[in-house]
Amino acid sequence: MVVKKKSAPGPYQPVMARTWWLQHRYFQMYMLREATVLPLLFFIGCLLYGLYCLNLGEVQWQHWLAFMAQPWVVLLNLLAFIASLFHAKTFFELFPRVMPLARPGLMIAGQWLATLLVATGLVLLLGGWL
Amino acid sequence: MQQLQQDIIVVGGGGAGLRAAIAAAEASPGLQVALLSKVYPMRSHTVAAEGGAAAVTLDEDSLAAHFQDTVSGSDWLAEQDVVEYFVAHAYQELVQLERWGCPWSRKTDGKVQVRRFGGMKTERTWFAADKTGFHILHTLFQTSLRYPAIKRFDEYFVVDLLVVEQQIAGVLAIDFSSGKLVQIMAKAVILATGGAGRVFHYNTNGGIVTGDGMALAYRHGVALRDMEFVQYHPTGLPGSGILITEACRGEGGILLNKDGYRYLQDYGLGPVTPAGQPQNKYMELGPRDKLSQAFWQQQQLGLTADYQGHAVVYLDLRHLGKAHLASRLPFICELAKAYVNIDPATAPIPIRPAVHYTMGGILTDINCQTSIAGLFAVGECASVGLHGANRLGSNSLSELLVFGKVAGEQAAALALQANLPPLSAVAVQSEQQQNYIGNLFADSCDDTVHAIRTELTLAMEQGCGIYRDNAGMQSCLDTLQALKTRYQQLKVTDNSKVYNSTLLQHLELGFGLDVAETICRSALARTESRGAHQRLDEGMTKRNDNDFLTHSLAIRQPDGNTMISWQPVKITSLPPAERHYGAKGSGLAGSGSAGSNV
Amino acid sequence: MSKTINIARYNPEQDSQPQLQAFQVDSDHSTSVLDALLQVQQQDPSLGFRWSCRMAICGSCGVMVNGIPKLGCKTFLRDYPDEVTVSALAHFVVEKDLIVDMQPFLAHLSAVKPYLINDQQNAEPHRQTPAQLAKYQQFANCINCGLCYSACPQFGLNPEFLGPAAITLAQRYNLDSRDQGKAARMPELNSKNGVWGCTFVGFCSEVCPKKVDPAAAINQGKVASAGDFIISMFKP
Repeated sequence: MVVKKKSAPGPYQPVMARTWWLQHRYFQMYMLREATVLPLLFFIGCLLYGLYCLNLGEVQWQHWLAFMAQPWVVLLNLLAFIASLFHAKTFFELFPRVMPLARPGLMIAGQWLATLLVATGLVLLLGGWL
Repeated sequence: MQQLQQDIIVVGGGGAGLRAAIAAAEASPGLQVALLSKVYPMRSHTVAAEGGAAAVTLDEDSLAAHFQDTVSGSDWLAEQDVVEYFVAHAYQELVQLERWGCPWSRKTDGKVQVRRFGGMKTERTWFAADKTGFHILHTLFQTSLRYPAIKRFDEYFVVDLLVVEQQIAGVLAIDFSSGKLVQIMAKAVILATGGAGRVFHYNTNGGIVTGDGMALAYRHGVALRDMEFVQYHPTGLPGSGILITEACRGEGGILLNKDGYRYLQDYGLGPVTPAGQPQNKYMELGPRDKLSQAFWQQQQLGLTADYQGHAVVYLDLRHLGKAHLASRLPFICELAKAYVNIDPATAPIPIRPAVHYTMGGILTDINCQTSIAGLFAVGECASVGLHGANRLGSNSLSELLVFGKVAGEQAAALALQANLPPLSAVAVQSEQQQNYIGNLFADSCDDTVHAIRTELTLAMEQGCGIYRDNAGMQSCLDTLQALKTRYQQLKVTDNSKVYNSTLLQHLELGFGLDVAETICRSALARTESRGAHQRLDEGMTKRNDNDFLTHSLAIRQPDGNTMISWQPVKITSLPPAERHYGAKGSGLAGSGSAGSNV
Repeated sequence: MSKTINIARYNPEQDSQPQLQAFQVDSDHSTSVLDALLQVQQQDPSLGFRWSCRMAICGSCGVMVNGIPKLGCKTFLRDYPDEVTVSALAHFVVEKDLIVDMQPFLAHLSAVKPYLINDQQNAEPHRQTPAQLAKYQQFANCINCGLCYSACPQFGLNPEFLGPAAITLAQRYNLDSRDQGKAARMPELNSKNGVWGCTFVGFCSEVCPKKVDPAAAINQGKVASAGDFIISMFKP
């Protein structure tokens, strides 16, 4: 039997628009969660720069402290802080589903408590050391 | 026309078809097994079975008890050698499924749990929550992926069997996705196409349950046996007919009429058992035919309630509590919420009987072999002789496993020694079908599949319902004749090739009309009342073993009409006795010959 | 009352892309999208869509309703006060109207060896406690409707990604106390189209009509895959 070449267009192959993530609130929230990495990167950059300055000596260190006190830097780091809280929230909600160990509600509360303890501990430790 | 060759063709990808395909592939891995289905296998209607699958499991149970329940449930119209084989093999089949991964519900010690079911003396129904059919189907489908010998033809619709001198030669099918006709030759063909519930208007069945396989065999002269026996499931949702499993009653649900009265006690099923403490074979755990008939009686007395124009009674599960419902009947809760907006934990569910199952089907022997050599049938499309005049809930899921395996092994044994007939032998038949389908198309037609189908299903509901009389059935038959004439004039106005559902529905309707006729004519011929076939005509309201302890056979005549003949019932150890449930039934337990002949 | 349903029509023998066509249907409080499609089919028998059980268990009737993947039989017009737009499941190749090509989906399912691997022969069932059953039970409830694939942008971007349902099924068997096939399944899950293709968008779990939570299954799979990798580092 000869296979006739189809003249008809055939099945339709859909294409995904570049703006797919704008089409639904759920995807927008997902992109926001992913975007939290950007201010965090800035914060890490600041931190690394600070270490570098510390290594160079007193003058550079003072220079870095001044840099960190500029309003736009404070603002960006504040943003990074909020972003990290938001990311933590989404992460904590996802975690019990990935590691089903106890009741989800209990696990979420436990994670926040652990975060608070560790963060407080670190601040006290570092604050005492400096 | 595309031509293919296989060793075995299985038509239908539901539980029976998949089990048969696996059995054939296991019996002889060298064989090519084609699995044709008009839908993807996991869409098959086995998926909607909820309650469970029966097998003797507990120490206090016995094969004899399961045998007795099944035979008496069948109103003595079951083939007793078939029932013996069935009860003896059901357990190992359920274990086999367990070893393939079926997530059966368990007791705390890890053993498989069994639940109560209607008409069964002892708990012997294995279940996977209330989605047993779903889990069985998916377990079988997934297991079938292990066998390279099984080649799936998804969305292929069989339009005709190829038969050469009373020997099967293969099938003709339409590839739904391209509209092309394909001729597949084979040494053995297994029909596993399911029931025909969709020829009735209110039914629990999916849209695909259109009786195709029954009609395919019938058109080649194979008898359809016991077609008058159509099971109304007592608990379907009003309107849609969506199934609310018998397991609800097995778990302790009760049935109430509009006054909140447990009316089953008035129909030989009492005394009343306390709510939430069900007793096997009492009240709500009576067999399906009796319960559906009791609904009809209540309706005549004006004791049913109204739910948006439908007469209903209520299934009350409230006393079982939210937690128990969530663990044992989660799907029922989901269905009730979605389709009647009711939380069963806080309100009773309105329900009414709906057509559920065709006890009859393609006549086969105990090896699933039909009267055409090499043609097998299994599952709801077949009548191997297990259900007689009334099927017990949870016997059919076990049936498709037990006899699916038989059919697959038998077909494999045959395929190993048979030869394919020459292509030339089927050339004429294939060409005729091709021309027939080609001539179905026209640019316009005044009539539609939908119009004919609606009249068909309403006529069947009217004439061949829970209770039947001569005048009603005669008028149904007249309607069927008129519809057949209209069908011959009907044309397919969509002439596209790809996924032409108009063509498919057209062919399904033709199958449905044939099956409906066999149901109606068999019912007319049986002038007694037995199991699911209840007549109101004078002198026919009782069982009549003198004249009708016999199977009906609907056979197609060359002129296209149905002839009814009769076949004796095989009785091995349990002579006919009166069927008793409730208090009266307790005397029957233990001894088969205790009852008196009717 | 009458409602407008817009359907994305596509005839592969004529059209180059889907076009919306509006129909009027009768709707009461119980009319599902599937009921509406069946009504439309009476007006225009050429409309193509799949359906069967109409009780949300066979998985045939997945469509996009106003851009969200839904089962037609379990979505009700009463919840859409204005118009409703129905189109074929996203990210799948459209064969005709609302019918998509499910073969890639089935190929992905088959790829993960979704069956119990344990060749021990025994005439008695395994023991499995309710707690052991509960570990995988939720993941065994997948009806293969494909909605999660239409919700997954990663599958949309990369059709080779095994996708939510297939990985869930692999996880279902990996977590089954009776199974011994995890080692055979892990290579597929570890591959670049396996669990690591998922970025935990999580929309798959939102749209799942059976609350299977495929996102959880995939990310449990990531933990298993990471464990697998660490163990392999210590092997000679």
